Amino acid sequence: MACSAPRQVLSFALCSAAPPRRRSPSDAVSAVHISDLSESHFQISKSNHSPKSSRNKALLLYTATLSAAAVGSEFLFHFSSTLPPGNTGSGGSGGGGGGNGWGGSGGDGGGYWSRFFSPFMAHAQEERADSGAVWDSHGLPANIVVQLNRLSGLKRYKISEIIFFDRRRNSTLSNASNSLFEMVSLRIGGIYTKAQIQAELETLASCGMFEKVDLEVKTMPDGTLSLVISFIESTWQSADCFRCINVGLMPQTKQMEMDPDLTDREKLAYYKSMERDYRRRIDRSRSCLLPHSVRKEVTTMLRSQGKVSARMLQKIRDKVQRWYHDQGYACAQVVNFGNLNTREVVCEVVEGDITQLSIQFQDKLGNICEGNTELPVIHRELPKQLWPGSIFNIEAGKQALRNINSLALFSNIEVNPRPDEKSEGGIIVEIKLKELDQKSAEVSTEWNIVPGRQGRPTLASIQPGGSVTFEHRNIKGLNRSIVGSVTSSNLLNPQDDLSFKFEYVHPYIDGVTDPRNRTFRASCFNSRKMSPVFTGGPGVDEVPPIWIDRVGFKANITESFTRQSKFTYGLVVEEITTRDETSSICTHGARPLPTGGLSMEGPPTTLSGTGIDRLAFAQANITRDNTKFVNGAIVGERNMFQLDQGLGIGSNFPFFNRHQLTVTRFIQLKGVEEGIGKPPPPVLVLHGHYGGCVGDLPSYDAFTLGGPYSVRGYNMGELGACRNILEVTAELRVPVRSTHLYAFVEHGNDLGSSKDVKGNPTKFFRRIGHGSSYGVGAKLGLVRMEYAVDNNSGTGALFFRFGERF
Amino acid sequence: MKFTVGHLINKGGTLRWASSLANRARGGFRLHRLIPVPIATTASFLLPHPSATWKRFFFLRLVSWLCLFNFLTEKMAVLGFVHMAFQAAREWHGIQQFPAATQTKLIELLAKLKQENVSTLTILVMGKGGVGKSSTVNSILGERVATVSAFQSEGLRPIICSRARAGFILNIIDTPGIVEGGYVNEQAIGIIKRFLLNKTIDVLLYVDRLDAYRMDTLDKQVLNDITGIFGKRIWNRALVVLTHAQLSPPDGLNYDDFVERRSQALLKYVRLGARITKLEYQKIDIPVVLVENSGRCKTNNNGEKILPNGVAWIPSLVETIINVVISGGESIRVDQKLIDGPNPNNRGKLFIPLILAFQYFFLVKSIQRAIRNDVMNENKPLWERPVERFDDE
Repeated sequence: MACSAPRQVLSFALCSAAPPRRRSPSDAVSAVHISDLSESHFQISKSNHSPKSSRNKALLLYTATLSAAAVGSEFLFHFSSTLPPGNTGSGGSGGGGGGNGWGGSGGDGGGYWSRFFSPFMAHAQEERADSGAVWDSHGLPANIVVQLNRLSGLKRYKISEIIFFDRRRNSTLSNASNSLFEMVSLRIGGIYTKAQIQAELETLASCGMFEKVDLEVKTMPDGTLSLVISFIESTWQSADCFRCINVGLMPQTKQMEMDPDLTDREKLAYYKSMERDYRRRIDRSRSCLLPHSVRKEVTTMLRSQGKVSARMLQKIRDKVQRWYHDQGYACAQVVNFGNLNTREVVCEVVEGDITQLSIQFQDKLGNICEGNTELPVIHRELPKQLWPGSIFNIEAGKQALRNINSLALFSNIEVNPRPDEKSEGGIIVEIKLKELDQKSAEVSTEWNIVPGRQGRPTLASIQPGGSVTFEHRNIKGLNRSIVGSVTSSNLLNPQDDLSFKFEYVHPYIDGVTDPRNRTFRASCFNSRKMSPVFTGGPGVDEVPPIWIDRVGFKANITESFTRQSKFTYGLVVEEITTRDETSSICTHGARPLPTGGLSMEGPPTTLSGTGIDRLAFAQANITRDNTKFVNGAIVGERNMFQLDQGLGIGSNFPFFNRHQLTVTRFIQLKGVEEGIGKPPPPVLVLHGHYGGCVGDLPSYDAFTLGGPYSVRGYNMGELGACRNILEVTAELRVPVRSTHLYAFVEHGNDLGSSKDVKGNPTKFFRRIGHGSSYGVGAKLGLVRMEYAVDNNSGTGALFFRFGERF
Repeated sequence: MKFTVGHLINKGGTLRWASSLANRARGGFRLHRLIPVPIATTASFLLPHPSATWKRFFFLRLVSWLCLFNFLTEKMAVLGFVHMAFQAAREWHGIQQFPAATQTKLIELLAKLKQENVSTLTILVMGKGGVGKSSTVNSILGERVATVSAFQSEGLRPIICSRARAGFILNIIDTPGIVEGGYVNEQAIGIIKRFLLNKTIDVLLYVDRLDAYRMDTLDKQVLNDITGIFGKRIWNRALVVLTHAQLSPPDGLNYDDFVERRSQALLKYVRLGARITKLEYQKIDIPVVLVENSGRCKTNNNGEKILPNGVAWIPSLVETIINVVISGGESIRVDQKLIDGPNPNNRGKLFIPLILAFQYFFLVKSIQRAIRNDVMNENKPLWERPVERFDDE
């Protein structure tokens, strides 16, 4: 049989998850330059303005193109690109040539020195072997200082050391964690050409950090180079105020070139106008999200230091940006520090204002196409923080991704922030969706080999089984769907056990744009379950099982208040047939007698007494669930009330009110810090379940006591079947490593209502009607392993269960 | 499929004898001959395997008995005696076997009853297995109506013995023990219930042994089930009979003390098993009577069987019974409703609309409110909260 099963694999491409892209060495510098753009933002042009002459100067700045690149697609790598670009890039060029170069030129210089530095040689050789020997020795005597322009433009130098030398303080900084090292894209161990090193120097000189910067190259005995960057840091007048302004969507101030030939007066006028402009800019700017606490910290930082230095500004920038990024404002950037040389430092921030939201559909090849899905369906899944006017937050993006994914309409979803070319610092949120096929069908077959006589399978015992599933999703683009499946374990005689389910789902019955979220569902179903009502108590031999077959139709409306809390109400029409082991309809339960016979006068299985009940009733269920995960442990409370209300329609005119109230509390016993990898808190779970029925109660609707979801330590229904039920449980969960251990105490009671079930199945099968248990267990992935002791017999047993008890 | 009819054999045997005797006594043979064969065969079809000939015989007898029964019932229905449907009683010859003193006493007592306008007395004997129910019945009637076997349980069929004496009819219903394998046997109870259908019970004798020292939950269960059949009011018309009364109590106790303690223990269990509250219990006075059925029972000068305390127990028992009948409220008529018990499915049905309204207004609404609160108080992550912007001072 043909199997056409389009397996859709959902891939979530949130950009931050993208691996760092490999870059070629040539654009490595520029790429890093872009990614480290924020550093290069304070391009403080020292040539024009000496600290003393330029008061109140907005020292600038960045260009529009750079900013666009930075906040756009590349901003991702901002977080992730940790690999030295040289290393990744160097693989591109041929390794053979490099090896030769070293052997040839390095042979002379290094050969001699190698006698003295043989360990280094060995080290170098090792590295050569490791990195594929792609760098050239400098070919110069060791330990001499060379001018940068005396290096060969053809060679590929390896840099083994980078040292910053502060001329003002006369101190050397070689600590790699120093913020200055972020400035250089060169990395220790990297391999660069002369041009790259020169470009680096230019970048450093133009970045604004330094008043003056020089680069000295020292030759090392092993053929590598040591770079000494000597610098004088830019400093400004000390400040004791900090102001943060939001300059997003504001045009950048243009750097007006000052004519060097201006007179003093003209200069003064120029500065004045600059100052005025800047004031206006501050006034026009909007306020920031940055909270007072961070501002205070910055102010203290400023006050504790004397002069405002470049490194200080760098720290401030890091601090501000870190706060933004920690809050998920991934597009926020400190673009500039203005108003330097006054008492106030003005930090200009682009927060990442969303200017536009665009939703695109892609076909299988990734081309943009027209989508079948109505846009409002997607719109309503987007958090309002993703709409224009808000600040882009990565968490909102993730939320949107999750929400859209929960629609189950798309095979691929991407949520990307993209810089808006039209307005500076603006972000366009781009959502790319690949739709799943609307219609799908699946046929699967299987052979069941049933052991025949003497345990050997015979030809006749091989049964072909199979299932047919079809699905029509997203009808009219409104996420309506029809799903049907038919399964049989014996295709030759499918009437034996044909299970089917057809379901029609119609979401947004109040309209797609209405915030009320109600979904209509209609389904046809059948099911076959063994009734736990007809189960023997302890000491009763095997009780012949009773199967409850249900065939019916169900229509209900679900209103979702939150993701977890919902209210469902609807109508159920069903036919219930009770069958014995031989699949023939039976009317009464049976129990084996000590003599070996069967007592057939057990409780009636159905209300009508014929073994077949037909009835219609209304069903409602309201769930309130505010549980959440605290480091993987569930905390909160969950209440559920379920009601089956008989309408007097059906066999014997059943009129009943069957209700259940479940209350579960997950109480966190210890406050813990939230975060990934942090241990979950110990949790106390209190659970109570009350069920009751007034009116007609057929045996299959009686509440059963005992079982993994009732009173653990007993079999399903081992304690009784009753009209009213009360279960109480306390469970203590203690986290141990990645999982948790738990201890529990449970009690279930029929409240003396077993006799109110017709035929008293509890007594007929010699059950007690109540029971307690206690035990301990461990959660192993999906499986619960528990040792439970039941108080009636006092014996314990080890159980393995799937899923959660609560 | 095995059917439990096989178990009826023993008691059935008893009945066979009883009925054939009865037939013979009033010319039942003739009636038997009149029975057309097809009816018998039809009747036998009702049973799964009526293979054994004696079984067939039994059924033929049964059918004949039923025919007689029907005949009489019809007659009596005309006369307005329907509820005395099983009055096909024969003369109480057994009474003649009692010593003269006992006879006098009994006749006196019956006369007393007659004065109270009671002409029928139906006694139901119940209890666990092997406590001496059948023996007690035999003792009271002075005849061997119920087979007594020392080691074997007698099966599951109750029997009724009716005796007439001087226009007074005494019915005694002997039931099988209702305990099986440490549990109450619902099947036996079911059979007893059906047997008692449309009969009127005047007195219940709950039989247990005097020489049993301990009571346990099983006793409670048994008593609970008996109460379940008839309702609590049966205990207004009940007496507790303790058999094997001729015993020497354990060391250090005198006989009366022992009896007192034993009866108190038993009565306590009656109270617990029947779920009678202490208040109700004060109104109910359940007499305890001692019985010794053994042939070796001591006799007094008049030849009456006496207990260790010198009481002639048969007249005493009958006297207590009659006292209960006279004083203890209404007799209990067993009808279908009583057998089925109150239908739990109908209880509270009228209140369902009220319950529903309560559920809607108090439960559903309050949960909805709680959900609304949850939505409002949700601890949202920072980014989801309304944006707070800070202006510099």
